[in-house]
Amino acid sequence: MRRRRIAGAAAGLLLALILLGQSWAELPRRVRFLAAFAPKELAVRRLGGSGTAFDRRYFSFLENARRRMPVDTPRVALKRPPGEGPYLYLAAYWLAPREVVDAKLLSQWGPARGWVTAAYGVSPPVGAGAVIAQLPEGTLFGPAK
Amino acid sequence: MTFLLSVLGVGAVLLVAWLLGFVVSAALLQGGERFRLERLGWSYGLGCALLAASVPPALALHVAPMLVLIAIAAVLLALLRRFPLLPEAVRGPSPARVPAILTAAAGLGVAVYVLRALTEPMWANDYIAIWGLKGKTIYGARSYPDWLTSLEYAHPEYPVGLPLLYAAVSFAIGHWDDHAMALLFPLFQIATLCVLVGWLLRRGVSPQIAGLAAALVAWFEPLYSGFLAGMAEVPLAFGVLLFGSALADALDETDEGSLRRLVVAVLMIAALKNEGLFFAIVGALIALVFGKGRRWKVAFAALAPALLMRVLHWPWRSRIPLADFESGLFSTERVWDSIVAAGRLLGWSAWIGLALVAVLIVAGRSVVAGNRLLLLAFAALAAYLVIPAFAVRGPAWLIDTTLLRTTAALAPLLAAAVAVRYAGEEPRAA
Repeated sequence: MRRRRIAGAAAGLLLALILLGQSWAELPRRVRFLAAFAPKELAVRRLGGSGTAFDRRYFSFLENARRRMPVDTPRVALKRPPGEGPYLYLAAYWLAPREVVDAKLLSQWGPARGWVTAAYGVSPPVGAGAVIAQLPEGTLFGPAK
Repeated sequence: MTFLLSVLGVGAVLLVAWLLGFVVSAALLQGGERFRLERLGWSYGLGCALLAASVPPALALHVAPMLVLIAIAAVLLALLRRFPLLPEAVRGPSPARVPAILTAAAGLGVAVYVLRALTEPMWANDYIAIWGLKGKTIYGARSYPDWLTSLEYAHPEYPVGLPLLYAAVSFAIGHWDDHAMALLFPLFQIATLCVLVGWLLRRGVSPQIAGLAAALVAWFEPLYSGFLAGMAEVPLAFGVLLFGSALADALDETDEGSLRRLVVAVLMIAALKNEGLFFAIVGALIALVFGKGRRWKVAFAALAPALLMRVLHWPWRSRIPLADFESGLFSTERVWDSIVAAGRLLGWSAWIGLALVAVLIVAGRSVVAGNRLLLLAFAALAAYLVIPAFAVRGPAWLIDTTLLRTTAALAPLLAAAVAVRYAGEEPRAA
């Protein structure tokens, strides 16, 4: 009987601890977010979400680049801010199934045939390639013709 | 397309998969009241597994995955007719119902997780860099491009079960929707709770205790968080519970379908994460040590499917050496560093929670099935503490970045292991 009481008390305390540990304050925020964003298109929902909070303008750049990129583009070289992994990961994910490579791994600014370069926040040097689209947040260009 | 329409589309696909899984589950669990809840949970796992399994043959044959799914289902149904499970010779009593208040508590936990998982498109770093990237690439390219096998940050050494599931759902709905597909995760949670309660009731645990275990697991935020939606931990937690319960059943020879369930569960967990193979090895060792007359049969059933799954992954295997681990770095000092880092990582509430779990373990009775599940959970915990000793960036780095979520995936297994220690005890309220 004593053992059972101890177990009952421990289980009750554990449930209380788990319930008290919940991040209750986030729930109304989640409801508001869902109500505001659910009717919008998928890219806008991602733009407003946590995964792009590190640089929302960058995600806007990726979405604009995706829309303006030739459909059959197999590979993308990404010029991005230095050092930040999430920039590359988000580009690879959002532009999939295209292969996305960090442009600094490539030997030249304007990469070879079959590649498109997406430059975020920087302009390519003159002669680096043929501009496909000038985006509000950067430039999309292919190999020089 | 608005979110609501997309969720309805994904929901319809998953419902069909669930129903298909329910039909196939007759090969694993006998009909009747005793297995009803468990069968509901297993059905969802089987449905998802069938969806994911339909993709590789479809890509290889250049046909629609739905055609392959229908073909696989037809073959399985034919096998089911050929090798049906015999009805139970002696039917046990039908389990009593879980009290409404505990069902409601667990239901509320599920509702909160639905909100957390579906608030926004899946966004965690590992979802973006690994699971989602692979799924979206497989779906978009209609193949597994060679460059994925050498993309270091996407961990090409990980199994591709979850990305294949994402691709399968996308093929079925006709587009990629990483917001609506988050619905997969609350459904994994529901399936987990069904199996947990069903297995505990069948093992003689009172409905009150089984319901309390379900409520605790349903509200366990370290596992059922918005952050983990999209990653492999939630499905793995489900798979490990299936594996542990099937292993315990197979060792105790509870029913005719237990060995089949063990094989299926091992295939599932080995397709989800590399830990799947680890669990299979530990399960096989437990079978060899405690399995008596059935030791070889159960050990084989626990390990062979995991090895088969490794072989099936051959076309997508990693072409690069592991970047994060180096075997030469191991030392007992680094293991100690890892344990210290883990100790620092846990807050006071986590320590109190662990102490309460320890009290529950000690206050329960020694039950063979529970002891085996505890052994499985502790072996995994030990591995999660030792593996950081091989980490190139230091033990503390791996502990800080992964320990909470990897160990959280053990929660349903641990809940089953602890609650089953109270089997056969009538609660005070009864």
